[in-house]
Amino acid sequence: MSPRPKVDHLRKPQIVEAAAEVLYERGLFDTRIGDVAERAGTSSPTILYYFESKDRLLEEAVEFADRSFYERLTGAQNQFEHAGDKLVHLIEETSRGPGGLNDYTLWMEIWVRARREQRVRNAYFRLDRRQRELIAEIVREGQESGEFRADADPDDFALMLSGLMDGLGVQVTLGQPDVSSKRMVDRCLALASAELGCDLHPSRPAGRTRVARS
Amino acid sequence: MSPRPDRGARERILQAAVRRIAREGIDGVRIARIAMDAGVSSSLVHYHFDSREALLAEALEYSYHHAADARIDTDEPASGSRAARLQTMLDQCLPTTPALEQDWVLWVELWLRAVRHPELRPVAEELYARLIAWFADEIEAGVRSGEFARCDPQEVADRTVALLDGFGIRVLIGDGAVPLDRARRAVAASLARDLGLGESLEPLRGLEASQALNIPRLDTGRGAA
Repeated sequence: MSPRPKVDHLRKPQIVEAAAEVLYERGLFDTRIGDVAERAGTSSPTILYYFESKDRLLEEAVEFADRSFYERLTGAQNQFEHAGDKLVHLIEETSRGPGGLNDYTLWMEIWVRARREQRVRNAYFRLDRRQRELIAEIVREGQESGEFRADADPDDFALMLSGLMDGLGVQVTLGQPDVSSKRMVDRCLALASAELGCDLHPSRPAGRTRVARS
Repeated sequence: MSPRPDRGARERILQAAVRRIAREGIDGVRIARIAMDAGVSSSLVHYHFDSREALLAEALEYSYHHAADARIDTDEPASGSRAARLQTMLDQCLPTTPALEQDWVLWVELWLRAVRHPELRPVAEELYARLIAWFADEIEAGVRSGEFARCDPQEVADRTVALLDGFGIRVLIGDGAVPLDRARRAVAASLARDLGLGESLEPLRGLEASQALNIPRLDTGRGAA
């Protein structure tokens, strides 16, 4: 009994990645442990050895998807000198249309599940906080450099932007006719510009953005 | 067999479906349980609703209409200020009462279900359009009467509805950092700024209005089911 896999460090991340893909495609309810095992090239007992339930898989899968998103994001953010450019970049990355692990599908799975499962709920709070802290940090940076209005509350703003991105993100992911990812970016930038007293524009395809203090 | 459609049964099925789906989710809910709650046979439920998607769509429609019986009719002449009415409307779009909380759970279930069942997307589209029009009409009336600053009512309504979703989900799940009151104030402040009203939609009068409409204040503890 009790399988003792010897390649812990290798296998667990593979399982989580496979779980994220399968959950994204099928949803929590229609995902079987066996589906994840097949995708990860392992067995159901091995999966159950690491994760006692589908909820644990969901939690780790979303954590994984979110972590890869932020690693990519923060990696790219270093190239920007101005806080305004960082904020534009964050908004644009969050507003990508449907069809990737980082659209809002997995978040919706978490939301539906979080009401019923305390652990999933805690995972949601943790991930949500991470996003808001990143936004608040960019705001503080911009306030120090004088790009953003000094009297804006970074945490209130982070919550507001995060709320708007979630609300619009759902509509973009559902393909609502009036809400393209471009419009999502425009609306979020309009909110940020108004709240932070600056003038943010979408980056041009080539990359750089201009930020002018208004 | 061959169940006879009767109106009372359909209504009872929908009532039961709203409660069950809110508690168990559309994926996990047993049709037999809904039938049992409604005091009808499972075949009658299948007769009325031939798929889970159809059941969810109708339950949501039913819940939307009943969650806030007191939803303001914007065609009525305004009693009180338009700003106070807007505050009441915001309250009716957040999980402020147990009925609205149930309505909210169904709303979130619809999002997720519609991702994988595109036939549900028009239902979401219709509900979004209705909500946005509800706000846009009220805002436009206020702009016309001079109570609100000039703005693009459609644009402001769009943003308000998106913010309500983003904040509502946090209240629903019971995020201690975003209690109902913070959500109310934040969405109201954003709307008030757009309408040239400063930082709030006359919170006091808004509160009175919601009391007049019999909206009980929710205990904003955890949103655990």
